Amino acid sequence: MKRLIQLTFATLAASIFATVTATAAAPVPLKFDAGSISGLSARNIGSATMSGRIAAIDAVDEKNGKTTIYVGAASGGVWKSSDGGTTYKPVFDLQNVQSIGAITIDPSDPRTIWVGTGEPWTRNSVSVGDGIYKSSDGGETWTHLGLENSERIAKIIVDPKDRNTVYACVPGKLWSDSAERGLYKTSDGGKNWSLVLKGANPSTGCASISMDPQNSGVMFASLWDFRRKGWTFRSGGENPTSPSGSGLFRSSDGGTHWTEVSDKTNKGFPVKPYGRIAVTVAPSNNKIVYALVESPRSALFRSDDGGQTWEERDRSQFMVWRPFYFATLFVDPSNPEHLFKPDLGLIMSEDGGKSFSNASGGTHGDHHAVWIDPKNPQQVISGDDGGIWYSQDAGSKWRKGENLPISQFYHVSVDDRDPYQVYGGLQDNSSWVGQSEYPGGVGNAQWENMYGGDGFWSFSDPADPDYLYTEAQGGTIGRVNRKTHEIRDIQPRANFHEKLRFNWNTPIALSPNEKGTIYIGAQFLFRSRDHGQSWDRISPDLTSNDPLKQKQEESGGVTVDNSAAEMHTTIYSISESPKNGQLIWVGTDDGNLQLTRDGGKSWNNMVGNIPGLPKNAWVSWVEASRFDESVVYAAFDRHSFGDMQPWVYRSKDYGKTWTRIVAPAQGVRGYAHVIREDTRKSELLFLGTEFGLWVSIDGGTQWAQYKGGNFPNVAVRDLVVQPRTSDLVIATHGRGIWIIDDITPLRALTPSVLNLEAGFIEARPQQQRLNAQGGWPGGDAVFTGDNPPNAAVITYYQKSRHLFGKITLEILDSKGVVIDSIAASKRRGLNRVTWGMRVKPPRVPSAAQVAFNASQGPRVLPGDYTVRLTKGEQVYSAPLKIGIDARAKYPLAERQQEFDAAMRVHALFGTMTDLVYRINAARSGVQERSGKLPEKDALRAQLAAYCSKLDEVRKQIVATKEGGAITGEERIREHMDSLYGAIVNYEGRPSDYQLAAIDTQQRELADVAEQFKKLNGEQLTKLNTALSAKQLPPIAIPDAAPEEAGKQSASGDKKGGWLERD
Amino acid sequence: MRGTDWLITATMILSMGTAHALTADELVAKNIEARGGAEKLHAIQTLKLTGKLVVNGQFELALMQISKRPAMYRNEASLQGLTAVQAYDGKQAWQIQPFGGRKDPEKLSADDAKDLAESADIDGPLVDYKSKGYTLDYFGTEDVDGTEAYKLKLTKKDGDIEIVYLDPDHFLEIRSLTQRIVHGVEQVNETDFGEFEKVNGVYLPFAIESGPKGVADKPQKISFDKAEINVSADDATFHFPASAGVAK
Repeated sequence: MKRLIQLTFATLAASIFATVTATAAAPVPLKFDAGSISGLSARNIGSATMSGRIAAIDAVDEKNGKTTIYVGAASGGVWKSSDGGTTYKPVFDLQNVQSIGAITIDPSDPRTIWVGTGEPWTRNSVSVGDGIYKSSDGGETWTHLGLENSERIAKIIVDPKDRNTVYACVPGKLWSDSAERGLYKTSDGGKNWSLVLKGANPSTGCASISMDPQNSGVMFASLWDFRRKGWTFRSGGENPTSPSGSGLFRSSDGGTHWTEVSDKTNKGFPVKPYGRIAVTVAPSNNKIVYALVESPRSALFRSDDGGQTWEERDRSQFMVWRPFYFATLFVDPSNPEHLFKPDLGLIMSEDGGKSFSNASGGTHGDHHAVWIDPKNPQQVISGDDGGIWYSQDAGSKWRKGENLPISQFYHVSVDDRDPYQVYGGLQDNSSWVGQSEYPGGVGNAQWENMYGGDGFWSFSDPADPDYLYTEAQGGTIGRVNRKTHEIRDIQPRANFHEKLRFNWNTPIALSPNEKGTIYIGAQFLFRSRDHGQSWDRISPDLTSNDPLKQKQEESGGVTVDNSAAEMHTTIYSISESPKNGQLIWVGTDDGNLQLTRDGGKSWNNMVGNIPGLPKNAWVSWVEASRFDESVVYAAFDRHSFGDMQPWVYRSKDYGKTWTRIVAPAQGVRGYAHVIREDTRKSELLFLGTEFGLWVSIDGGTQWAQYKGGNFPNVAVRDLVVQPRTSDLVIATHGRGIWIIDDITPLRALTPSVLNLEAGFIEARPQQQRLNAQGGWPGGDAVFTGDNPPNAAVITYYQKSRHLFGKITLEILDSKGVVIDSIAASKRRGLNRVTWGMRVKPPRVPSAAQVAFNASQGPRVLPGDYTVRLTKGEQVYSAPLKIGIDARAKYPLAERQQEFDAAMRVHALFGTMTDLVYRINAARSGVQERSGKLPEKDALRAQLAAYCSKLDEVRKQIVATKEGGAITGEERIREHMDSLYGAIVNYEGRPSDYQLAAIDTQQRELADVAEQFKKLNGEQLTKLNTALSAKQLPPIAIPDAAPEEAGKQSASGDKKGGWLERD
Repeated sequence: MRGTDWLITATMILSMGTAHALTADELVAKNIEARGGAEKLHAIQTLKLTGKLVVNGQFELALMQISKRPAMYRNEASLQGLTAVQAYDGKQAWQIQPFGGRKDPEKLSADDAKDLAESADIDGPLVDYKSKGYTLDYFGTEDVDGTEAYKLKLTKKDGDIEIVYLDPDHFLEIRSLTQRIVHGVEQVNETDFGEFEKVNGVYLPFAIESGPKGVADKPQKISFDKAEINVSADDATFHFPASAGVAK
């Protein structure tokens, strides 16, 4: 099959070929962009069962009694619920970033929403933002209002007395120094911003603000000195006693002047140095101020005099645990003694902070945001690392929101089942196996948890699909039985006096050459060929082994924080060449790119050969080409140095020389996580960056962002092409797993195709997937992912949007007969249209109700068809091969039996339609003539009697009782519809009794036809004679119904005009 | 069909060029001009469209729609000889849904009538938007399936929103996104327009596809094959049937 077939019609052939030739001779500048490729749709299979980290929540009780909720996902955008959480929709997807730090609803107008991008919970995997946004229509449209270089925004306050005065608390950049940080203020609704509170150094920004509820000129703000590097983190200074820029400040003039709150001037306030400080004024009492202060003696402090003097309160574990991740406080709007402190567990005080008790209930844990309903403080919403939770009893028990698919995957893999399954691990949400499709949709129940902790790489064991390999943070790899869930810890152990360094996201790789061989990387590369019973070390330390980057036990700043997230000088990426099992590439987090060509006996660091690449760049991905063993791709991620640009290179000579194939100049945004080759076409490359998915069709010269099917600008951390289906399966860090079904058309895109006006594009072979039912109504509050269409998918390309005149898409059978016509898509670039693969439905006589089964035709037989696109005067056609579902247990011959049986019933419906039409023609002929006779004419009575007999015959064929109730009235038509449904809905061999029932119904119909024939004979002749005597025309009964009668789309009898109701 | 007149119009519009950034009102003016001009639009008293409706790619129904000034509308969708009707006479909306065996007309609530009431506006929302009480905002351009379209937002008196996307070369409406409050609940619907053809000097879309926001393969696809302007239409056809409930 040619990739692109144009035209077939003899009269047009010459001119169209001439067009193609002319295009080839005079190249037109190629337009390859998002519009070219985004017609291939994507579907999100979630899941919302694990959901993901939530960074911010705001909500408002509306006048109509409902609660509108806005949820800011750590890396999955803004979600809005207008019904108190029953349903959500993403409202921020078109914006450039999806990491949310702050959401504030304007207290003067619930339709005005402010969003600060860039999460302030600065863990190792945190994303980045690009400033502040405002919507004035409840999230439908957004305007970017500056602070572009803020990277993250912790909180926004809108002055309740002047909605144009807004404060934005900007911690600023996490990975590098920057000037754009501190507390910003606008007095003109966001047009202009001024920095009203600035840190003492370029690593200090704003972490918390709170406004006096009675006097909006009075406010508290905390400054926070912080920095993360690939190997360490500090909240405050370098160690618990180092000075830092952190501090708490108070202003009484709307931010113009600030006074520091300190132990020197404010009795009871703790001694410096500080780390992160959270401050909040009780909404119902402006004298009461709470501050969580991270210091060598971290604790909650309370002031009862508006911040003049303070008293130390609670310092239990979840008050002071990981302040960089949990420094925030939420006070009950009506009770100043009642407050929540989010942490690993959510804790709550009812005595003004003197004591706290656990309010986590059955939540996931790692809480970051709380909303307390001001109208009913028993109703509380909390967001944690596992999504959103609702409590009706102020935090004792919680119900989970099952409808936020903001899951943060790190990696994804697939198996070769049909349908294939999807494997992946998530930030703080374990490792899971999900269905790529499922009857009724991919619901939350179609995902199964297989492990624990934070999840990363997971693979089905190709040597034994009853098992999978998976891991938690720090290389804790396990081999898990799929059925029993038994786990065997197979993490390699250290030798005598040795420490193994496993990355937070430790790489596991399967050998593409040997089933059952797996790799895992610490600073050494390990290989197992016996399911983890033993490991061979096949490398020396492949990292820089830089001792300055191995001081994780000192990480944290004021409060030690060494969770495996800072482990460094480790192996991060492993790729064995699919062409040569002795050739293995390894990338490290500290910038080494190592190659062995002898199965690990010797290694060479090739990174020095890469031109222009800064030193120590984190190797986020290395991929040996599947087409040529000399070719390798490597992605470098320098965001941990504050450099957010993509760095991706390719070598075609085993790493001796390199070419940069991804750079900002090509329009690609965001640091690169993954680069993958297509499984079949070497020039087709997929790139995942922090801001989305990008595709190249020319080996990396040009890149287009993929924006199909509502796919947001979300971080793409991993990708895999399922080799059998050619589906691209995408692991996003914030929006779950997405699938672009069948990327075959991308393989066909070449510059010459892109320059064609239009043409069909090859897709994968089409299957008639089994008819299957599944799922169950679970209410509106659950997420269900879409299935691929159970239809033939037809793909074509258009250089520009079709705007004027008809564009038609027809299906022709092998004899060239048009059997269906479907609406053509009109967009620019690749277009996809689905065809249900059905013949036209049978003609069905009108009755009391629609015969629903018969409203569709049976599916066409598998075989060879043709699609024809007519666009103005241009005609294009291409073959369409339809196959049977690979899982079908019935052979084609039985499918043929089923189709033949269905078409027999189909034909009987037609016969029935003709019969009913003829009866009705006779009835109306009688009624018409009867109306012209005098009322007492004897012939009139005879006609009425005849008509009544006709109707008796009709009522044997079709149900006639109306009223919309369940009448249970079944006549031949209704029996036939039931039989037709039974045959059409299972495409294997029809049962013996179904075939017998066709005969039965055919006979019953024939009997009725015979009755009509009798009425139509002698009796009618007599009546016609009598009519002639009265100078009335004879009643003529047509032999059959006209072609359109009984057709599915035939409109009702229009004799009486539009008001006619029968 | 695809005659030469649209080619001429398109060329003329393209040649106008845009010397400065367009304002919202200029875009509205260009849209009206591109459609055929206010005079020709206003000359349409009734508009009758016939064709087919395909639902979920599975069910095909015959479709007829008729609109009549000032604000009347009726559609009929037929399957197996049964005809579903939805209509609005400027005040009251009603329907007949016969497929389940019941043919009595039913009145619709004012909220359920919003879509029908908007369908009754032959001119579309941009024409005379001020006198209709709408406010207009312009949001620059936004991608509509590979076309960088002008984005205009109309806010109606009741707070409902309609976002209209105009093709950047021809200024015809290629997408509409409506956000309505129906029974207190926000309903969002996206409609794409295409296959424009000129009828009595006015460009009309002959292909209309509707469904949830962002869904490429929309569940409801309308394809018209005939448009008739100023056919006679009795007001009675839009009113709730006087004979309601009386079986034939």
